[in-house]
This record gives sequence, structure tokens and C-alpha cells, in this order.
Amino acid sequence: MKSEAPLITYQDLVGPTDRIETHCGPITICGSCQPAFLRNSKLDAGLGHFSHYSSIIQKLEAFETYASQKDGKVTLAIADPNVVVGYCVGSYPDPTDRWAALGDLMYELAAVEVSRNYRGCKLGEKLLAMTMNDDFFEDKIAYMCGYSWHWDLEGKELSAAQYRSMMKQLYSKFGFREVYTNEPNITLRAENIMMIRVGSRVLAEDQMKFRHLRFGMKPK
Amino acid sequence: MFKDYPKAIVTKDGESVLLRPVKPEDEKALNEFFSEIPDDEQWFLREKLDDPEVLHDCLQKLNYRRTLPIVAVREKDGKIIANLRLHLSMARCIEHVAHLRVMVHPDFRSLKIGSWMILDCVKTAMDMGLEKLFAEFIAGVEDAAIGAALKLDFRHEGVLKDYIKDKHGGYRDLIIMSRDLQSKWSDF
Repeated sequence: MKSEAPLITYQDLVGPTDRIETHCGPITICGSCQPAFLRNSKLDAGLGHFSHYSSIIQKLEAFETYASQKDGKVTLAIADPNVVVGYCVGSYPDPTDRWAALGDLMYELAAVEVSRNYRGCKLGEKLLAMTMNDDFFEDKIAYMCGYSWHWDLEGKELSAAQYRSMMKQLYSKFGFREVYTNEPNITLRAENIMMIRVGSRVLAEDQMKFRHLRFGMKPK
Repeated sequence: MFKDYPKAIVTKDGESVLLRPVKPEDEKALNEFFSEIPDDEQWFLREKLDDPEVLHDCLQKLNYRRTLPIVAVREKDGKIIANLRLHLSMARCIEHVAHLRVMVHPDFRSLKIGSWMILDCVKTAMDMGLEKLFAEFIAGVEDAAIGAALKLDFRHEGVLKDYIKDKHGGYRDLIIMSRDLQSKWSDF
């Protein structure tokens, strides 16, 4: 007798979900989105290219790239019907990055962004909450690098320093703290920021290796 | 505001250094720090913190809303190797600006500790919502600090000719530098 193929449910495609009511309408936060789900979605017009600002991700294919990587994370904020209005993506550092020297210990929250049309609904916080709600991070040093040239200062009507403070407040809710590094892109502007969250199972020795790596000293 | 402290840096010789706000318990280490500053440089201290009584008094009245003192501490033995003070004003007309002063122990210069402390101060001032930071340096005495400030986007604001008199009666210029803290998108 031929066995039937296992049924793939909506939940399999989007991972855990959280439905929230906002002043922009109902939004579903989907953790661990799979490539198959992304093929039926589209990006909101508030994510894209503007005169003084461009979204980090402007094509759905970029989410597929993240989702298909080892331990790649894609958390999406979805408005009906299947319109991506915000996202949080994470992955291991690119092999050319300084942080790749510590292998799978390091995990980058590469971007959190909310469409210009859906700001003020605390979607950034919801996206981060869904992403970080994973025991996976207890073995990792999760990090984010905020570069002021990526920030939508015009859209938010903030100075770079105010935007930086907003980022600090947002990430600190999830146990992140600012650390210093001589990594050239971070040091290019004082507004730039690197924040980390050290997982509870990360060894002190590894934390020290990371501290030295921040200042260009590779682990022996 | 202080929850990210202590902030670690590693100097080029591999030494781990922690930046953190001063506590009253730092009195002994701070006395040691100021006593190891050469006499010629102690002369230029505005607040006479090399005087143990003045320092004691100052530590008993710590008020981070008026003055935010940050020290760089060598992690392995707790030795204070640099001291920065960010002076804030309670007057509403100048509450958007602050003044910084920094001093690095002579044995730990050329390790960019002063630069890290000024950068930390700039970031902290941004997070406090300040708009402009000022620093005053003595020409011919604090040239390394002037260089560090320039690299951190401070610019020359003015010079007070012969404002400072050194221990031997010679005159020195006071260099005033400033840094804007609230750049808008159009400034980039």
C-alpha cells in the first residue's frame, strides 16, 4: 500500500505565530518562516528604496536566502493578505566577517526593519521578541551592528543620536548591551553601535576570546 | 544610562581595561592615580583632585547629573589608568552642552585609552540627549588629546591666547574644541 506524503500545514511554513491588533490593522508575527511560504508573499510599499533611505532587504528572495542557511532565521510581520510589513533576519556571520573567527558561537541579527507605513505599532519589538524566544541563543553570542547610514532618519524625523538611543532601548529589552570594538565600519561614526547578548551557556573563556577579537586579536 | 558599564576595551598590548563611572570606593586608587601624574601636569589640574582632601570631598558628593566621572581601570589589578570628567550644567540655558576633561596616566599613554574614553563620552552624551560637547586643551601639553579629539570629529572652536600660565611662569594657549552630537540625515 502506498503511504501518503505527510501534510504540510501553514504552521510548518511560518513557525510559531502571534496575531496582534494594531492601529494599522491586524498583524501576524511569524517566526521561522520557510521559503515555500515566502513565495506567496509580497513586500509592502513602505519597504524599498526612497530618496534618502533604502531598506536593507528589498526583495523577497533575500528572505529565502536567509531561511535556507544553516540556522538562518526569518521572522516576519505579515498584514493580510500575505504582505510583509516588517522583518527580522539572523544568520551566522559571513565567512569574511571578523566575527566568523569564532565559528558558530557568534550569531548575527542582521536586520530588523518595519515598513514606513506600519511604524509606531511596536512591530520591531514584537519581531525581536519572536526571534529571540529560542533556547538556541543560550549557546550563542548574539550581536547586532547598527550603522547610521542604514537608518531612516528622515522617515523617523530623528537625529542619528536619537535613532541610536532608540536602537539601544529596543535591543536592551532582550538582554543586549553595547560593547566597543575597533571594527572599522563600527568606528566610522560615533553613532554606530554594536550590541551583544551573551547566552547563559557561553563559557567565560569564549567571552574573553570575543573581547579580544573585538579589538582585532584573533583567538589562538 | 549606566547599565552598559563596565565597558571593556583591549589595548594593543593585549591589556583588558574596563571603563566605568567612579564610585566612592575608588578613593584610594584615584589618590594613587593623581599622585603618579608628573608635577608639571598636576599644576594644570583645575579641580585640584591631586589634593586628597579635595578628592575625598568630591567623592562624597558624587552627583552624576552635575559631573559624570568615568575611570579606565586595568582589569587584572584594578589600577586606575585614566580619568575623564563630563561636566554638565543645571542652568537651563546651557543644559544642552557639556564639557569634558580627560587625563591618562603617563605609563599608559600611546595606547589610545584617552581616545576610547573620549569616544565613550561622546556616545554617553548622545544617549543623554546633549547637543554639543566642548573640550579644552592646553597647547603644547595636551597635543595628543587634541589629535584624538580631531579624529573623533571635534573641531577647533577658538583659542584663548596666553590663558594658561605654567609652573615656570610661561604662558600657554587654551584650545577650545567642540563636537556636534545630533546630526540629522541632511548632515551626512
